Amino acid sequence: MKISFFSKMAWRNIKANRKLYYPYSLSSILSVAVFQMMASLMTNDFVRQRSAALPSLFEVGTLVIGVFSVIFIFYVNSFLMKRRKKEIGLYSVLGLEKRHVARILVIENVMVSGLSILTGLLVGVLFGRLSFLFLNYLLDLPNAMGYSTSWEMTGMTALLFISIFTLTLLYNIAQVTFSNPIRLLKGGKEGEKEPKSSPILFVIGLLSLGAGYYISLTIDNPISAVNQFFIAVLLVIIGTYLLYTAGSIIILKALKRNKAFYYKPGPFISISGMLYRMKQHAVGLANISILSVMVIIAVSTTVTLYAGTEETLNNRFPEENNLSVMTDEEMSSRELKETIESVQSDLNEISSEEGYTMTDQYYFRYMTLWGEMEGSTLAFQDFQGGSEIPLMVLVMPMDDYNRLAEEPVTLSGNDLLFYTPDPDLNRDSLTLFDKTFDLKQINDMPGVMNGMSQLIDPILLVTPDDSTLDTLRNQRNSELAEYPVTLSADFFWSLENSQNSTEYATRIQESLRDTDYPVGLFYESRDGNREDWYSTNGGFLFLGIFLGGLFTIGAVLITYYKQISEGYEDKERIQIMQKVGLDKETTRQATHSQILWMFTLPILTAALHTAFAYPIVQKMLMLFGITSNTLFTLTTLGVVMGYSLIYWIIYRVTSKLYLSIVE
Amino acid sequence: MTFMDVKHIKKIYTSKLGSKGTEALKDVNFAVEKGEFISVMGESGSGKTTLLNILSTLDSATEGEVYLGDQPLSSIKDKEVSRFRREQLGFVFQDFNLLDNFTLKDNILLPLVLSRKSVDEMEKTLQPLVERLGIAHLLHNYPYEVSGGQKQRAAVARALITQPKIILADEPTGALDSKSSQNLMEILQDVHQNGQTILMVTHSARAASYSSRVLFIRDGQVYHELYRGQKDPDVFIDSISKSLLVSSKGRV
Repeated sequence: MKISFFSKMAWRNIKANRKLYYPYSLSSILSVAVFQMMASLMTNDFVRQRSAALPSLFEVGTLVIGVFSVIFIFYVNSFLMKRRKKEIGLYSVLGLEKRHVARILVIENVMVSGLSILTGLLVGVLFGRLSFLFLNYLLDLPNAMGYSTSWEMTGMTALLFISIFTLTLLYNIAQVTFSNPIRLLKGGKEGEKEPKSSPILFVIGLLSLGAGYYISLTIDNPISAVNQFFIAVLLVIIGTYLLYTAGSIIILKALKRNKAFYYKPGPFISISGMLYRMKQHAVGLANISILSVMVIIAVSTTVTLYAGTEETLNNRFPEENNLSVMTDEEMSSRELKETIESVQSDLNEISSEEGYTMTDQYYFRYMTLWGEMEGSTLAFQDFQGGSEIPLMVLVMPMDDYNRLAEEPVTLSGNDLLFYTPDPDLNRDSLTLFDKTFDLKQINDMPGVMNGMSQLIDPILLVTPDDSTLDTLRNQRNSELAEYPVTLSADFFWSLENSQNSTEYATRIQESLRDTDYPVGLFYESRDGNREDWYSTNGGFLFLGIFLGGLFTIGAVLITYYKQISEGYEDKERIQIMQKVGLDKETTRQATHSQILWMFTLPILTAALHTAFAYPIVQKMLMLFGITSNTLFTLTTLGVVMGYSLIYWIIYRVTSKLYLSIVE
Repeated sequence: MTFMDVKHIKKIYTSKLGSKGTEALKDVNFAVEKGEFISVMGESGSGKTTLLNILSTLDSATEGEVYLGDQPLSSIKDKEVSRFRREQLGFVFQDFNLLDNFTLKDNILLPLVLSRKSVDEMEKTLQPLVERLGIAHLLHNYPYEVSGGQKQRAAVARALITQPKIILADEPTGALDSKSSQNLMEILQDVHQNGQTILMVTHSARAASYSSRVLFIRDGQVYHELYRGQKDPDVFIDSISKSLLVSSKGRV
């Protein structure tokens, strides 16, 4: 009987406070749903199988969302409790013991959080499926993305949120237990202290942000970029939080000290208002900024990948048909040349038998070495040596270079043509195995070789003749006999009138299988790879848009709750000021400028973070064969503008909510 | 010289259902002379707060008119009403209505800031005022750091800083202990002696005894008034108490 009394009371309380509980439940439900969807993606087949980096990227993403959920639910809860303190104080005054009040709080919490978690999971499962259906329909990818509801992750979501709600409950009970009824009665009105400015935290924030930015700007190696990326992300997140919490107060206080500026109606009302609430709201603003960066990066990179698929294909495959030739360590460059030429004539024969004409045929021979520049000596080593990633050195003979390059060169016995992307490595002469060569610099590698420079920018050396190449290889192999290097070659051709077809590719594939050339051959057609690339990049695009949507929901949620809670907090202040003679016009102006700041600050921060993340992200994109900057730049700009527009709409709607509460 | 004229004020509150309204003020008539300090006394529900709200332009009368000087309050347009309130009236409230996010100084300066006065002018007006009120040393404190009496003195300073035509005070001693109450009333008396017109609504005979005239209000009508004349507050309080005692029996 007693239990039913308390549960009736709890239920009545929830109903009576529904104006506060609606946003509270809505926020809880959406937090649960967002986390459930994010966690479910970790078990998605595409995420697990397509790329090695993807699962860890999603783990970090899920972790960030989890941390945000904890912060957000506590924030939402503290707002609710502040509004309800008076009511709870009244219970004590009316004679309920503290354990009775605690019992009511427990029942309320179980009702609201239980309902929120269940609804949230349901929304997560349904919305996840629906949005996958919708995105599949919208993007029309060659392979539809499958969505699997992971029951394991759903259980984990439930567990996480049960723990969060239990923690908030304990916090609330502690608050009720440790304060007396009179103070609770005054609760909502109790003045909060003016926040103290902390220059130390501010400096730490600056340093952390600076370090994060520095990593992004100076990183030059995409292979190590993936790890450094996470460190940079962490540093920037820490920096953002510290700067928002400490920096905002320092800046506002400085503005306040400027009397001529401060003592005017607009700034007077808005600066004091912002300063007063910064303590709680700085975290909210930092969250919005970080979520916004995540939206922008997720969407712009995946859109770039997808839109750049053709570029990737063109880089990988300079012509429609590509044949890689691999040799053993005995074969000389002369023998290689003869072999390629006989393969070439065989291929021409087969093609014309089938009614095709081969055009744009060319090949180049090369060898790949790893080494280190010591003064003007290039010392070669094995790729596995040391933690530092060594220089990649491509060596090719002059004849082959002249076939690829726009401007042919002539080299005499002691000359080497030299290209390096790193101006620090420029030399006049270079010593290789005790022989010193004169270097002739060129400014760029032949475009055909773009496909070879995806991971690391290589050095290019062009030898005057074939025998120099052979000599270098032999010297290298006698020095490091355990890991011998071999010559390779790439042979490209297209067909007249672009008559390439799957049948042709299959025919070539088959004819090469039954031959007994003294070399290994590997054939690929650009067309044959196209679908593969589009389906992979389409998958990334899909995930990017899905994640962008999830993070946007998160940002919307925080903005919405912030406006509502600020509305309730400002209501009384504005009323007092209106009694003393503040007119509606000035109220509007002041609140508008205040809301505008709260709106632009996160979006500006997000844009700045994106700008500094640009180099690191661009290098990561090179892993996927996107080498042109224009595409990524335009996409990022477009996404930033698009997102600002969405955020602006949210801001318009929520600031109306705010004004309707205040007035 | 008549300074504020309250003529046949009637206020009926109608509920949303629109059936029968509640009559808060029946027919209120009185005039305030320049430099007077008037107390309006009455029990809860007598209509004194309604009256004050109408005088402060926070509410409007159903019938009748209030004139401040020659200006009927009902003629002030919505847009100008805030400015009017800011420049012509000063308010002191029972619960102080100070803003927690402003220091006492900023709270006091608020009406001047809203009127876009220059910083120099503000500082010049502020200094003598706070010294007179004895809160000069508290200017940089926040409301939650000072006592109730100090808060109310800051509120009085905020009301005075615009040099308003009239100060409207709503139970200013309502939330104060007796010592702070006495202190506040002495300050108001002092302000009055410097020529300021004050109209105060109060429960407390002790507070009312500092004023120059007391109006008694019951069932929405002024039914009695007392002038202090040359009487000492301690003597005046006796006549006020007697009047209240009689009124509580139902008849004058």
